[in-house]
Amino acid sequence: MTEPDVSATRREGTGGLLRLRHGAVDLLGSEYLVLVLTILYFLVLWPIVPAIAAPATLLDIIAYMGPLLVVAIGQTFVLIVAGIDLSAPSVLAITAVVAASIMTADNGYLANTPFAVPGGLLSFLVIGGAIGWLNGAAVTALKMPPFIVTLSTMMFFSGAAIWYTAAHTDATSIGDLPPAFIAIGQTESGGGVIALSIAAVVTVLGHLTLSRTVFGRWLYAIGANPVAAEISGVPVRRAVTWAFVISGFCTAIASILYTGRLETGSPVLGQRILLDIIGAAVIGGVSLFGGKGKVIWTLFGVLFLSVIDKSLQLLGLSQFWVLVIKGCVILAAAIADATRHRLLTRQ
Amino acid sequence: MLINRRDFTLASLLAAGTVGLPVFARSEGAKTIALLFDSLESPFWVSGLEIMRAKAKAAGWTSLEAISDTDDAKQFEQVKSMLSRKVDGILIIQTDSKAVIPAIRAANAAGVPMVHFNRPPAESDAYSVAIQADNRKIMQNTVQYLVDEARRLGGKYKACILIGNLGDVNAIQRRDGFFDVVNQHKDIIDVVARISTEWNADKAFADLTNAIQANPDINFLQTSSDFLHPQIEQVLKSANKWRKRGEEGHVIFGGFDGDEGGYQRLLDGYLDADGVQNLFLEVDMAFQAFEDLWAGKKPDKLLLDPGFVISHENMNEKRDQMWGYVVWKKKNG
Repeated sequence: MTEPDVSATRREGTGGLLRLRHGAVDLLGSEYLVLVLTILYFLVLWPIVPAIAAPATLLDIIAYMGPLLVVAIGQTFVLIVAGIDLSAPSVLAITAVVAASIMTADNGYLANTPFAVPGGLLSFLVIGGAIGWLNGAAVTALKMPPFIVTLSTMMFFSGAAIWYTAAHTDATSIGDLPPAFIAIGQTESGGGVIALSIAAVVTVLGHLTLSRTVFGRWLYAIGANPVAAEISGVPVRRAVTWAFVISGFCTAIASILYTGRLETGSPVLGQRILLDIIGAAVIGGVSLFGGKGKVIWTLFGVLFLSVIDKSLQLLGLSQFWVLVIKGCVILAAAIADATRHRLLTRQ
Repeated sequence: MLINRRDFTLASLLAAGTVGLPVFARSEGAKTIALLFDSLESPFWVSGLEIMRAKAKAAGWTSLEAISDTDDAKQFEQVKSMLSRKVDGILIIQTDSKAVIPAIRAANAAGVPMVHFNRPPAESDAYSVAIQADNRKIMQNTVQYLVDEARRLGGKYKACILIGNLGDVNAIQRRDGFFDVVNQHKDIIDVVARISTEWNADKAFADLTNAIQANPDINFLQTSSDFLHPQIEQVLKSANKWRKRGEEGHVIFGGFDGDEGGYQRLLDGYLDADGVQNLFLEVDMAFQAFEDLWAGKKPDKLLLDPGFVISHENMNEKRDQMWGYVVWKKKNG
């Protein structure tokens, strides 16, 4: 019988630990970290709440993600140029009520005509784009901070949405929307296909725009250093304005999906969604300081928040525990993200 | 002892059956209901949730909770989550009466009863049961008490009403109840201020201040909700009009809801009468609606809580039915 080679075993053990450590470092540095955390969270929760893995629940999560993803992608464009768009909730609200007032069977401007749905859809996009342009123009032409500009437009258009609704109905919202429009946002029956297709198209277009076009490179260059970008010939003003317009368009598309799903144009639509929008992008890894971000990161951030939301809903805990758990999970993700940045900086 | 594959399979099945039996037995008897609130911003809802929890526990039901933070889209997702959890019933307090309709349809499709608490949904082809206070009747009775008091005291009255959000059917019914009565007594009551508070305490404070400045002789005041009492008290104090019953310059003052502050002001003599939504009865009605729906019955779409008026005359007799008194008693012993 020979003596075991203790030093070799120790070397192997050390090698295993090293490999494990390198693996952990690689994972922390990976752009898939948030996705991995989401999967881990899902797996931990599965035995506690088996309903989370039910096909219907998974479909619900995907359906819930759609509008949030679309609006968060718009926000990603603005964050990359070191801006922020706080006006998203008001764009959701004003586009919803104006379009609803056009389409509603209850004395709508285009009620019961073939133009009701196209007119409504057009109004969503035109108003969303126009508010985005207004934000962008104020930021670039007047050199105002995006925070102040979009905070002002948020307040103005949130108030305008309530005023507009009160001027058009005695109720708190505008209903009786055409079935053809409602089908767009529905997640049951075949409607979900339309909503998910729209979200998928926006995601692919957003990804291609940022990763494969000159315009996308301009945005990253502006976010990293606007002065250097300008000296290099990047049309900074135009590009920043377009980033805000894209954000407005995306928010309008999200508003179409939300309004269709709720069958109602509500002046308080999305009133509480701002933190989810910015939170999803930032948790995904998009930098608040500009110059860094990808659509796929935002996708992972939205997935992360959606899975947390769904799991907490399924747990049916009291609001106190919901807030505590959500806060802890987001904090854990933020710590992991900070550690990742520190490691990447060292490397 | 050797165990062959057949014995092992049989034993496993028996063990699984034995372990599963209590779960099955529990699922047969015990019910799980979802309590979906849109916010807990006023004492009415906080007390309502506490009463629901207690009554659900007493009935042997399990309750799951969620709060949508007045986000209709999120509340719809919460409904779907509860349907995934296969709850036996959903009690919902929605923000918007129209935006809740897709949620009712989803519950209908899943065969899960839905009961709306205090806020009925808009008219639709979807079926659900709503429990609501008979706002108009309760307000009529409250204002009638104030008018009788005014007639007893004699003189002419300049009246002011604080109205809620006109998009809220509860607010509209309360406003209508007020005018149903005062319009019959125009000989002594002249309504000089109609304040649309939009259920916003700051707005109520500012607009009531303006109304009192414009009409310093206001001496008859009705609010559509007790949660505005602190603002009313502040304004009346500033105008030197915060006087008790029987004191010179007392403003005849009516409340609505029956909260803790309402009871305290009634006790102190500043409030003449309070229209009370019988929260205990409303929870009982909601739970009874679940029982009926589970038993295959089909209750009416709208069930009304008649409520009652509490004043210094019947306070001792009625206060145990006033939810605000129960909260007050907990705090004050």
